[in-house]
Amino acid sequence: MGSSHHLLVFLMFLHYAVGFTYNCVKILPDSSSSIVVEVGKNFTATCHLLEGCAYTSDDIEWRLGNLSIAKQSYHRINETAVSVTINISSDMSDWLKCTAPKESLSYKPRSIYGIFLRAGYPPLKPKNLSCIAVQEDKDISPNLSCSWDPGSRNPLIDTTYTVYANVPGTVLTHKADCKQHLARFCVVNLETFPIHMVLKVWVEVKNALGSERSELQSDSTYFVKPNPPLNVQVLTEDKFPTSLMVTWKHPIDRTILKLSYAIRYRKVTSNVWIEVPESFTRGYIESFRLQSLEPYTQYVVQMRCIGESNSSYWSNWSPSVTERTTEAKPASAPDLWRIIQPTSNSRNVTLIWKAPVKANGKIQFYNLSINQNNEKFESHNIADNLSQMYSMELPAGKMASIEITANNSAGDSPKATLSIPRSDKELPGVKDMSWSVRDEKLQVKWTAVLPLPHPLKLSEYLLEWVKIPQSVHQKELPAGWQRVPKNVTVTTLNADLEKFKRYNISVYPIYKYQSGHVWHFQPGRPVTRPAYVQQGPPKEGPTVTVTKSKKNSAELTWEEIPLDSQQGFIIHYTIFYAIGNTKQWKSDMVGPNVHSYVLTDLASETDYVVYVMASTEAGSVKGTDCTFKTMKYGDGEVEVIVVVVCLSFLFLTVFIIMICLRKREVIKKLLWPQVPDPSDSSIAHWSPDFPIKADLPKEDVSVVEVDVFDGKSLCEEDKGVLPLKKDKYLSEEHSSGIGGSSCMSSPRHSVSDSDEGDSGQTTSSTVQYSTVLGSGYKGQTPSHQPPAFARSESTQPLLDCEEHPDHLNESQSRSSYFRRGRELEPGVLAPECDGGSLTFCPVQEEEPSPVAEEPPASALCYMPQKSGYRPQ
Amino acid sequence: MVCLSQRSQAKFRMILAILILIAVELVHPTVSCKNETCSQLLRHSLRLTRLMSKRTTELLETYKTSQDFADLICDMQMDNVPVSTVSGQTISQRILSVYTHLKEFLPHMKTVMEQQKDLNPPTNPVAEGLNRMITHVRHIAVRVNCILEILQPNIPIPEPAESPTGIPHAQNIFQQKAYGCIVLTRLQELLSQAVQEQKSLKKGKMCRKSTKNGS
Repeated sequence: MGSSHHLLVFLMFLHYAVGFTYNCVKILPDSSSSIVVEVGKNFTATCHLLEGCAYTSDDIEWRLGNLSIAKQSYHRINETAVSVTINISSDMSDWLKCTAPKESLSYKPRSIYGIFLRAGYPPLKPKNLSCIAVQEDKDISPNLSCSWDPGSRNPLIDTTYTVYANVPGTVLTHKADCKQHLARFCVVNLETFPIHMVLKVWVEVKNALGSERSELQSDSTYFVKPNPPLNVQVLTEDKFPTSLMVTWKHPIDRTILKLSYAIRYRKVTSNVWIEVPESFTRGYIESFRLQSLEPYTQYVVQMRCIGESNSSYWSNWSPSVTERTTEAKPASAPDLWRIIQPTSNSRNVTLIWKAPVKANGKIQFYNLSINQNNEKFESHNIADNLSQMYSMELPAGKMASIEITANNSAGDSPKATLSIPRSDKELPGVKDMSWSVRDEKLQVKWTAVLPLPHPLKLSEYLLEWVKIPQSVHQKELPAGWQRVPKNVTVTTLNADLEKFKRYNISVYPIYKYQSGHVWHFQPGRPVTRPAYVQQGPPKEGPTVTVTKSKKNSAELTWEEIPLDSQQGFIIHYTIFYAIGNTKQWKSDMVGPNVHSYVLTDLASETDYVVYVMASTEAGSVKGTDCTFKTMKYGDGEVEVIVVVVCLSFLFLTVFIIMICLRKREVIKKLLWPQVPDPSDSSIAHWSPDFPIKADLPKEDVSVVEVDVFDGKSLCEEDKGVLPLKKDKYLSEEHSSGIGGSSCMSSPRHSVSDSDEGDSGQTTSSTVQYSTVLGSGYKGQTPSHQPPAFARSESTQPLLDCEEHPDHLNESQSRSSYFRRGRELEPGVLAPECDGGSLTFCPVQEEEPSPVAEEPPASALCYMPQKSGYRPQ
Repeated sequence: MVCLSQRSQAKFRMILAILILIAVELVHPTVSCKNETCSQLLRHSLRLTRLMSKRTTELLETYKTSQDFADLICDMQMDNVPVSTVSGQTISQRILSVYTHLKEFLPHMKTVMEQQKDLNPPTNPVAEGLNRMITHVRHIAVRVNCILEILQPNIPIPEPAESPTGIPHAQNIFQQKAYGCIVLTRLQELLSQAVQEQKSLKKGKMCRKSTKNGS
């Protein structure tokens, strides 16, 4: 009962495992789990129809997954069995099913049976099995780390890797299961490492399609990796500047593993290790002396060890130990050079030098000895901590010979010598020199110098580089230099030249000649070229200024960009200009040496924007914008206009003057209307009481007219008669113009004498032009009546005689003109003035009616009356 | 036999091969000894014995320090502990004596280790040292066995059974400590003698002779 129950459960499980419910068909081989099949191999399965099954073999159909298998792969075995053979590929992990179709109109379900195929590969044999047990404290670790190459093929199915270890002769085998997929590393614990025993290790890889195994058997020391030597020390030894003593301790007891050692060393400055031959360190030793080293040089030393006869793995290298060998005398001379800067009468020589290449110690000081014209001039000990240069004055007509040695704690170096000839005795230089850039280094090429007559011989060439502008650091050598053999004409400068900086590269031939037993070295004339190791666009553009702006042109100037900012050779400048904000740029290109330019064809009175762009071969940089405005007028235009206007004015003036002169009579009449002639007055004829008297004045007036006026105006007459007074008269005419032109002044204006030319005086001396009226007319006026002044309405200017009586004597002719007027009233004025009085006569206000006025009885005249009167 | 079919013959050969393999596996020392030359074997054996002698000395010092014991106690008589005296007239006999004693000591060492584990915490250095020592003593025994094979290839080597120590379990702590010290002291003496015996072998040109004999 129990067994049948188990069978039923088993069948149910089987049924569940294959996943189908009806067993009219069955596949062989069958399995409750998947059937592992090897990729690339043929697999054959047979489908059997169970007894009582209504199907025939013809009804059987094979399917792999959901795909039907071609009938050609079927093989009918008998009426109830059909086999199928398929070639397994790596992607064939799927159900292989055998089905029989459902009978029509049958209640029976479709018959189907399947097995699960899992495709895979058999395991590959692990390759390169290796195992290591490292040193742990003073013993060997029991953990054996093994690694191998499992191969690159994925087995596709579950595959296990197991490492076994066994000491042959013992029954105990240690194993470790490696859990990783495609394991390549595993650690097996041996509990106690089998020292001095044979150890057998193997790795076994297994899966459903097979197993493989790799084995390793050797003396157990073969698996051991010791620690590096302990306490490695490097010791210096006095008086042995070329050796170092290395000492160490064994990392493990020789009873466990007897070791041999390896030592390697290198200079601190080098990356290349030098290994001491193993034969020198093969013994079980704890010290070794490194020899043939360089004095005063830092060395790095490392050690490692291995079981004797290479019976174990090498240990790692020990930590580096650095030590410096002791000092020895400098083995080479300092490298001496000079820089000569001519001055007005002399030369400023700067001696510069480098420490000896083989200094073999710390240089304490340099001994510098200078001879001038073969006589000892000066000698100095210069400490090394100071800058390695010395400046001196050397007259142009003198030669100098310089010697220098370097000194360290062990002694002096060989001597370096250098000769500086007189200025006029320079030796020839190389003919040509050029440079190029290769791999970010400057390569210099030159033409070799021609041989010189005996005893001068070419010794070598010297290449010098100087940064322009020079550095301000005092400690820094002003120049760098490099020597090359005499047969070389192309070399690369071994200098870390800065990018974008200008250097002057010079090539000097160095000649040598023997004097006595001493060789002298003398440089020839240098050939110098500026160079850049790499050019860049300028740091800044030129700042342009407009120096002259004209109507249609403008002159621009700009400063050269500072050398530090140029960053390359300027190949050209480009001037860009445009009107205002139009941005319609025009450009002109000029050479690198041009720093001013005249823009032409500009529009007048227009705003322009201009800038200059500087270009090197690496790029261009624009300068700052500058704005200017062109002029409205061109050169001379303003002057022409001014001249034309002035000339026009002048001509106009002259023209007016001419007109005035021509039409003076008309003007005169306009300005000074004709004073009525009293002789023509109707009064003379009108008064019946004075017929004779009326004639006298007439006769007298006529005489005066003939003598004095002669039918001409006063002005004209003055000019003709008194040429010396011409100016005065003209002046009077002009001065009268203040109140109104002499010809055109208003009759009401006061007249001033302009002789003094002082307006104040003129104002103060302005005298009302008045008429002195008597109380009577022509002697009829009663004498007792006081004189009176009456303002005249005449526009006649005052004459000199009125204000300057002292001139009267000198101008009698002029006085006579007025005399005529006075004589019109002889009865009124003459008796009083004849008294010889020159005192001022007060003037009475003019009465409204001249007829009613009576002449003053004793009116004083303010004009002299000494002459001009004719006896009546 | 004649009537055996070819299939039966194949099966027989397979079974025979398996039996031979089993037999070979069972006789380990014989197989392992052939992996090394005589001189290598002797050199490694001597080094291992010397190392173990040194280690035993160190372990004994550690033991005495940890148990606060006097030397006197370690030297006292205890009947059930194997003696350290190597006996025999010939070198082969003495080496065989070494081998036998080494095998005899193994169960005692195990007992002492167990007692030490009980007496002291698991990190007890004596117990750890003893554990390693047991392994190494076994390894020495394997080496000595190989030497015996070379010395007397035609004489089977008697394998002493790893019988119980015969020490009663009802020992008090002092007795256990004294027992452990006595075992280590005698083992140290045995290993010292073993070193000497092997040195004698090295001096005695054992390997040269065996090489000449064509071994």
